Amino acid sequence: MPDLVIRNLHANIADSDTEILKGIDLELSKGEIHAIMGPNGSGKSTLSHVLMGHPGYEVTEGEIIFEGENLLDMAADERSRAGLFLSFQYPFAVPGVTVANFIRMAVNAHRKGGPDGADDPIRIPEFRKQLQDAMEMLEIDKSMSSRSLNDGFSGGEKKRFEILQMAMLKPKLAILDETDSGLDIDALRIVSGGINALMGPDMGTLIITHYQRILDYVEPDRIHVLVDGRIVRSGGPELAKELETTGYAELAKETVS
Amino acid sequence: MSTWLETRRKAAAESSEALGVPSLSDEHWRFTSLRGIDFDRYAVSAEATAGDMAGAILGEGDHAGRLVMRDGGVVAEELLADVAAQGVVFGSLARLADEHAALIEPILGTIVGYDERFAAENGALWTDGLLLHVPAGVKVQLPFHTAYEIATAESAQQWRVIVSLGEGAEATLVEEHLPGQPGYANGVAELVLAETAHLTYVVVQDRNDASLHFAAHRAEIAKDATLEWSACSIGSKTGKTRMETRLTGEGSTGRLSAVYVVDGKRHLDLDTTQEHDAPNAVSDLAFKGVLLDSARSVWRGVIRVAEGAHGTDAYQENRNLMLSPTARADSIPGLEIDTNDVRCTHGATAGPVDPMLKFYLMSRGIPQAEAERMIVEGFLEEALERIPDLRIREALTTAVMRRVPV
Repeated sequence: MPDLVIRNLHANIADSDTEILKGIDLELSKGEIHAIMGPNGSGKSTLSHVLMGHPGYEVTEGEIIFEGENLLDMAADERSRAGLFLSFQYPFAVPGVTVANFIRMAVNAHRKGGPDGADDPIRIPEFRKQLQDAMEMLEIDKSMSSRSLNDGFSGGEKKRFEILQMAMLKPKLAILDETDSGLDIDALRIVSGGINALMGPDMGTLIITHYQRILDYVEPDRIHVLVDGRIVRSGGPELAKELETTGYAELAKETVS
Repeated sequence: MSTWLETRRKAAAESSEALGVPSLSDEHWRFTSLRGIDFDRYAVSAEATAGDMAGAILGEGDHAGRLVMRDGGVVAEELLADVAAQGVVFGSLARLADEHAALIEPILGTIVGYDERFAAENGALWTDGLLLHVPAGVKVQLPFHTAYEIATAESAQQWRVIVSLGEGAEATLVEEHLPGQPGYANGVAELVLAETAHLTYVVVQDRNDASLHFAAHRAEIAKDATLEWSACSIGSKTGKTRMETRLTGEGSTGRLSAVYVVDGKRHLDLDTTQEHDAPNAVSDLAFKGVLLDSARSVWRGVIRVAEGAHGTDAYQENRNLMLSPTARADSIPGLEIDTNDVRCTHGATAGPVDPMLKFYLMSRGIPQAEAERMIVEGFLEEALERIPDLRIREALTTAVMRRVPV
């Protein structure tokens, strides 16, 4: 059985009848990179939020199974400790909490997640070393670690810090929501380099993107096209090129008919 | 007792009598009701009550001087010999009143006048408090620690503080109002900074949750002098605290940072002024509060820019984090500007913890309660990080966070 199984997933905006996801089926195993592509408003970001347990959506039907566990029974923090990671399209500023403190709290929350739930905080020198290495890989200036997380950061900086958190938390499933948006070519190269460096047999990656640009740097095994809350087509990497020429509208038309 | 002092007490008593206890129809008391409070039932303590102070947040470590006032008088005071040798005066105001009349007379009752009921009452009835004088050019590195406590339940403590810094003098004064017993505390602090002086003033109001706390702190800041004022209000049942700065000299700076946490049915009322009477002065006020349960906070802040105070740079903000739907925060910012070429900005907000921000933190594995606590601490930290002394900052952070149950 694949590590992530999404079956017939339907989701609404919480407290409303507006259905955004209209029956999604998807399977992904560790070691694989999948991309979900689709036009604006197709439900891409909703899918990433629903996977992570965003309180603004309500799952009305279907299931999400990760490593045999039903994610829908778990709060966002539990999902994270189970190995999920979401790189936000619009990361939040956390005023008054430094990058280093925030990441250390998160790392310690993960270490605490063991069977006995006991505290096992990471030793400070070890944490510093890991953080420094990850910052170097992402070409982030050392002095940034003492700043409030994302507070006054540029769009590109925020994206780098999402990947920095990913590097420190070592997820089993990384969901990258429009991580390429707002990045210039250099930043895209650095961020993609980071993702590739973290990728391996123990991690699966779900890239959510509007453009195929990031797929020139991070090569997907599978591509799924999401239109109006449904996956209308799945295929190999060549699908991205096809989309580039035909566009989503054309593709949606031919699939529906 | 000196005649001048007697004359002032008499004037203050007359004014207090004439003013009477304010009601909701007085503009400054619109949000703070004193109805039903029987001030007469609190007998003013005339004497000190011996004993150790308990509950001080910043009492640890080395100090240039220490002073404790319990009930009506100072019970303990000490001053490092080498600091005293530099001409620094630090000690009980009652004890030093005659000897240092020349220092006190120009300040007492002139910085904080008798035009408001509680200040006037204090002018008539104050029993003791602090006199701190740092002569011109003297820079005292270690902080002075002072504490005020009601030790006898249901009594009134009338405390008074006078601080004068000579030209170029530097000092740090910590003023803690301890939990002690429930009662009625009323006080006035008058601070005068001469040219290029630098005062760090830290006020912790942690009075008993059943206490009434009234205070009028006012500072006058001369040319190129700096007041770095931090306030932390976590105690008392109700009352009003005035925090006023008057920038009398060109190029002077007054920075005022405050954090407060109010829970239960407690009520906190903070009244601030930033008065620009000279050109090119800077004032910067940041108040951040956390409200729980059915608690209430009121902040009224006015920036006044006098005619001719061109180049003024004034800022004020009050932000409140509402952790309960039944809590309430009122922010009343105000600008009174009588000159051109000034920069005055203000902002006020009140809102709950952002659920999306909480989701962001939880998506990193941080449990809900911890995430909420982190958001609250981060919120307060923005005001606390303005406190230059790291030890004071950390102690205050711990003290305020103890009040946050999440």
